[in-house]
Amino acid sequence: MIASAIYTVLFYAIAAGTILLALAVVNTRKLLRAAVALMGALSTTAGLYAMLDAQFLAGVQVLVYVGGIVVLIVFAIMLTRSGELLEDNPTLKRKLVGAVISIGFLVSSVGAVWGSPFAIASAGKAPANDALMIGKALLDYGPGGFVVPFEVISLLLLAAMLGGIVIARKTPPTGQPFTSGGDLPGEAEVYHPLSQRDDETGGRAS
Amino acid sequence: MTATSLTYFAIAAAQGAFKNVTVSERTAQAFADGSWILAIVYIVVALGGLAALVTLSGLVLIYVERKLAAHFQCRLGPMRVGWHGIFQTVADAVKLLLKEDVIPEKADKAMHLLAPFLSMMATVMVLGVLPYSPILQITDINIGVLFVTAVSGFGVMGILLGGWSSNNKWSMVGAMRAGAQIISYEISATLALLVVVLFSGSLSLAEIVQSQDAGWWIWRANGVGFVSFIIFVIAVTAEINRTPFDIPEGESELAAGFHTEYSGLRFSFFFLAEFINMFVVSGMTATLFLGGWMPFHIGAWAGFNGFMDLIPPVLWFTGKTSVVIFLIMWFRWTFPRLRVDQLMYLEWKVLLPIGFVNLFAAAVVVLYNLYPFPILVP
Repeated sequence: MIASAIYTVLFYAIAAGTILLALAVVNTRKLLRAAVALMGALSTTAGLYAMLDAQFLAGVQVLVYVGGIVVLIVFAIMLTRSGELLEDNPTLKRKLVGAVISIGFLVSSVGAVWGSPFAIASAGKAPANDALMIGKALLDYGPGGFVVPFEVISLLLLAAMLGGIVIARKTPPTGQPFTSGGDLPGEAEVYHPLSQRDDETGGRAS
Repeated sequence: MTATSLTYFAIAAAQGAFKNVTVSERTAQAFADGSWILAIVYIVVALGGLAALVTLSGLVLIYVERKLAAHFQCRLGPMRVGWHGIFQTVADAVKLLLKEDVIPEKADKAMHLLAPFLSMMATVMVLGVLPYSPILQITDINIGVLFVTAVSGFGVMGILLGGWSSNNKWSMVGAMRAGAQIISYEISATLALLVVVLFSGSLSLAEIVQSQDAGWWIWRANGVGFVSFIIFVIAVTAEINRTPFDIPEGESELAAGFHTEYSGLRFSFFFLAEFINMFVVSGMTATLFLGGWMPFHIGAWAGFNGFMDLIPPVLWFTGKTSVVIFLIMWFRWTFPRLRVDQLMYLEWKVLLPIGFVNLFAAAVVVLYNLYPFPILVP
């Protein structure tokens, strides 16, 4: 009984923390603080997963969101140097449109959650080793397996990665279209990361 | 304790008789038995033990680092405070605690205060899952390896926040460098770590140690283990920002990097986190590749193995960890600091391809059972 009481108290503490942090994300004026609050909200969500015995999901939540997404957001904020949102007084029209859109979103999402029947497996138990089960299900090509979505997602990620590299690269290889146009002709003989590049040719191979 | 009972204890430990009796499980057991006080005592002991470990290993590691640095350079190092200067770090710690804690006027104060705690939190969370001995582990979670990789994200956030909130260009550049470096080298460290996960078939750190009963993965894995050991050591050296990968705090260009604007207690948090991180990554290396608390055994030499079993598992863990720590400290006085482009070249064009090929080779080795000793953990 005491254990379940502790469990309940913990749940409400974490849930309240998640809600407060999520409010802080949208209410703070400083972008970096919003990112930190987002990190807190995502971590407490991981705490909720851990309380549901979904350890793997909790670990991945922290790994992907805290170590990946939030760090990426912080990097973007640092690089763009727009630390503060300076708009103090939005016009009445923008306030009205914003209010309508957010109330509409609230109504539709609450309605969707309210109206859909969730099959709660009240008697079910989480598997003892959920990482093992998830891994098997992800690579299973029989019924109930998810190998096709898994591979499709990896293709999508590969495409996104290639797109990022194409956008970021400064020096296009000669004769290739659709790159952003570099400052040096022909990358292959020019870019030597390990050689000293401070001679007067600007690192150009003679 | 007589030698006989010690031997019995060590053999039982090596056979896994005490497997998975972590402090958290004892707490849960005490709780289920209705003895509140015992459960609370366990929790207090665990927290106090972690605090003691952090403080003590911080003091020892800083002293050892200074002494080793001195002897590598044919100096004596600290000699005045106590015998051969063993109380030097205590004196330094007292000085740091008494110093004024300055917060820059234009700094983002809340973030400035939060950053060192995030760094420290990431470190201490890993200490909670390391198996120090078969009966000494705070908690063993199913996703141990994943957990260790995940919480390092908080460390990155701590450094980035510290750099940004100081409102100082040096801090900012240092934080950006540290962030980019840690994120990059995390990939190689994870690839190397996955090789061990492939061989042991488990993410739990205690089970990974158990799986090395027949031989440590560094040599039992037919070469791929050794390659991933080397990749892992290089990658974690970069992850904890130590020379030759210490451009985030390169003194000659960035003052002190991301912690330029920190002083007093908050600076010592960053400083301590850095040194405990060294203990953490060395402990991880020992756990994954060097058998954790497993004693050193050679095949069927019963006499030799029995003699090795006499040494308690905690000493095995500490010894292996110390060897890796010495290795990392040795790097510092051997290799010059890398430039930013060299750093990225090493990760993305050298370590990453080798890591992928190595992981693939490891998969082949595991799939076709190409390694000499039998697997004990299914």
